[in-house]
Amino acid sequence: MNDLLTAAVNQILIKGQFVVLVYFLAVNGWYLVLLVSSLVEMRRHMLLIADESRHLLLSSTLSPSISIIAPAFNEEATIEASLRALLALQYPSLEVIVVSDGSKDRTVEVLTERFDLVPVKTIYQQRVVTKPVRALYRSATYPSLVVVDKENGGKADALNVGLSFALGELVCAMDADTLIEPDGLQRMVRPFLFGTDVVATGGTIRVVNGSEVKFGRVVKTRVPVNPLAGMQVVEYLRAFLFGRLGWNRLGGNIIISGAFGLFRRESVLSAGGYLHDTVGEDMELVLRLKRFSYERGGPGTIAFVPDPVAWTEVPESMKVLGRQRDRWHRGLADVLWRHRRMLFNPRYGVTGVFVFPYYVFVELLAPVIEAAGLISLALGLAFHVVDWSFAGLFYLTAYGLGTALTAFTLILEDVSFHRYDSFRDRALLFWWALLENLGYRQLTVYWRLRGLLKFLLGRKDWGAMERKGFQKPVGAVGTH
Amino acid sequence: MVNEHLLNGVMFVEIALLVLAVGVFFTHGLWLFLNHRRVLRLTETARESLARLVTRGTINVEDIELLRQLRHDVQVTVFLETSRNLTGSGKERLRFVAHEVSLLDRARKLCESRLWTRRLRGARLLSRMDVTDPIVVKLLADPNAAVRAQAAEWAAAQPSAAIISTMLTMLADPATQARFAVQDALLRMGTMIAEPLAAFLETHTGQPAESGMRVAGAIGSAAFLPAANRFSADEDVSVRVAATNLLSAIGDVSSAERLTVLLKDQDLRVRAAAAHGLGRMRHWQSGSQLAECLRDSAWQVRREAGLALRAIGAPGALLLRRALKGDDRFASDMAQQVLDLPEAAAAL
Repeated sequence: MNDLLTAAVNQILIKGQFVVLVYFLAVNGWYLVLLVSSLVEMRRHMLLIADESRHLLLSSTLSPSISIIAPAFNEEATIEASLRALLALQYPSLEVIVVSDGSKDRTVEVLTERFDLVPVKTIYQQRVVTKPVRALYRSATYPSLVVVDKENGGKADALNVGLSFALGELVCAMDADTLIEPDGLQRMVRPFLFGTDVVATGGTIRVVNGSEVKFGRVVKTRVPVNPLAGMQVVEYLRAFLFGRLGWNRLGGNIIISGAFGLFRRESVLSAGGYLHDTVGEDMELVLRLKRFSYERGGPGTIAFVPDPVAWTEVPESMKVLGRQRDRWHRGLADVLWRHRRMLFNPRYGVTGVFVFPYYVFVELLAPVIEAAGLISLALGLAFHVVDWSFAGLFYLTAYGLGTALTAFTLILEDVSFHRYDSFRDRALLFWWALLENLGYRQLTVYWRLRGLLKFLLGRKDWGAMERKGFQKPVGAVGTH
Repeated sequence: MVNEHLLNGVMFVEIALLVLAVGVFFTHGLWLFLNHRRVLRLTETARESLARLVTRGTINVEDIELLRQLRHDVQVTVFLETSRNLTGSGKERLRFVAHEVSLLDRARKLCESRLWTRRLRGARLLSRMDVTDPIVVKLLADPNAAVRAQAAEWAAAQPSAAIISTMLTMLADPATQARFAVQDALLRMGTMIAEPLAAFLETHTGQPAESGMRVAGAIGSAAFLPAANRFSADEDVSVRVAATNLLSAIGDVSSAERLTVLLKDQDLRVRAAAAHGLGRMRHWQSGSQLAECLRDSAWQVRREAGLALRAIGAPGALLLRRALKGDDRFASDMAQQVLDLPEAAAAL
């Protein structure tokens, strides 16, 4: 009986290993397709923007107006520099709405003093249900500045309040710790000018850690020496440059970073704004907009601009990073569950048939399969069911191919925007790319699994995000 | 359990890929570094030569030769950056030098290429140098929207009757990119397009007319009045909104009268645009109608009416204060908000 059981366990371990191996081969194969797709897209993009006169857009009265919605929560120390950087963005028709989400510090007082704010009667057209607005301010110096003070309700609620006040054709939603490039909006608005079907655009977000920041602007780009931040630089490059850009070409983007995204205001309002009861409100909104475009008609293209348009600070402590990844994965699970009827549903076109299943089977379930593979490999080795040569093959397939693909992403960055130009930065980038497979990636698997478990248990907390801050003066309007 | 050959094979492929990636990455980095230094050096010398040729107005064969032998990308960079800051005779001399160093010939050849990316580059070059060349006119009908848009950008500086006529037909371009570029180019041509655009609006309807009215709205000539009046009764709401905006841009007595009528339009966007227009015109005579709009069922209309009343000065302020004491809470709240606004934020 014991022998039979041992044989059965052995068979499960061996077959399980092969399933995991095939899964990794399939996933890396798909990544290769995405990489090729992003190469084609990047080349086309670079040809389109070479010697382009974006200044024409700046002076054109026909450019669509943009309202930036900047949620702020206890930002008294950083709000002035952040807001000055936003007001100095290069765009002809710009409105900046700062929403203080129940700040308990002097955020509103600082704004009032530094930006010459005066209180005005608080009435507005509430098109999305939100927490009550306490006060509304307008600036006597900056006509395009609106400051809203509201009761605390979270980032989604603050953005919804901002949507009610926004007058621009397009709204730009930004996140905590986001620094926008001076010409970022000009770059982001391009898809809206070039296509009537575009409902939202996202751009490449880069990691600011290690770089030099002055007056809310990144003045010198550098790869961080902190291992956690360094490996996230590589991760971000991979996610944006070959993930989203690749999907862009294949017509199936469904993610826009919450750090910086541009949306058609009317479409967002018609869809009901941001959802409050999810931790993945950014992705949820984008997927909802996409879904509604199939169900109700109207614009539905989610465009991705590969230009580096904004910078964000990433966590440098394991605890905070773990919380962030856990939350991201919970958000992903929640969003996919909410829109589960899109899965393999031809009614939703490419999104239903290819993109949604990709996010379920690759993005959502990857940590489960990866963990199962690693655990069964360890067990297999311990019980001499699998040999070291198989373990080697497993590791090479699971991680080696991934490293090679990452290396090609670095090349893609280098031939396009080459923001990391010194030898030191190149060496560091490569070093982090090699090192991320030795521990960091396994940690992210653990964090994501934890997120999945919490989702199954129904947890919806955000967890505190501690920020180290940029070099003075600091520069980001942020929240929570 | 696993064939050793398979394992070795996979390992070999991965190592090869990694070595290749490392090689390409660092070699490219080195090339970028060396190239950057070389380009900087070449650019500096080329700038000096070009500056001498453009400012002195005399032809120095050595300078021409130096520019002719420059790397193509550096040549383009130097000419384009110089072109941005020149007009009139300076730009004329720049074009002459560009012709002498064969830059313009090369751009023309690019415009004839079968590849749209090259045609785009050629059109961009000729456009940024303000070169009058019939080859770019052909590109206004290019199959690629990006090329058409670039040609339209070029056309902004070449406002001949034939080009204006072609550009007007492009207001119906199916590609948004080209349409935006055409509208922007027509706008840059200024008042000289007023008559042809007015004629165009007389014979077109729908989306082309709407695009045309957006341009007309930025020019604001009285020549557009018949079209604006006609389209302000159009069935399509977006056309009516464009016509309302055009009426407020024209800003004469008859357009004000029409705008006052439009304050009672069935669509809130038209009513809001009409209120905005009357405020923009500081049309104090329509103060009572605007005050009536403070009671409108639509928030946007109430807001625009309030701002318009504030914009028309003392009579408007009086009406706003009267609304504060009125029985309509919505009107009173809006009046209060508008009166609270600082001067800068209340401007239309």
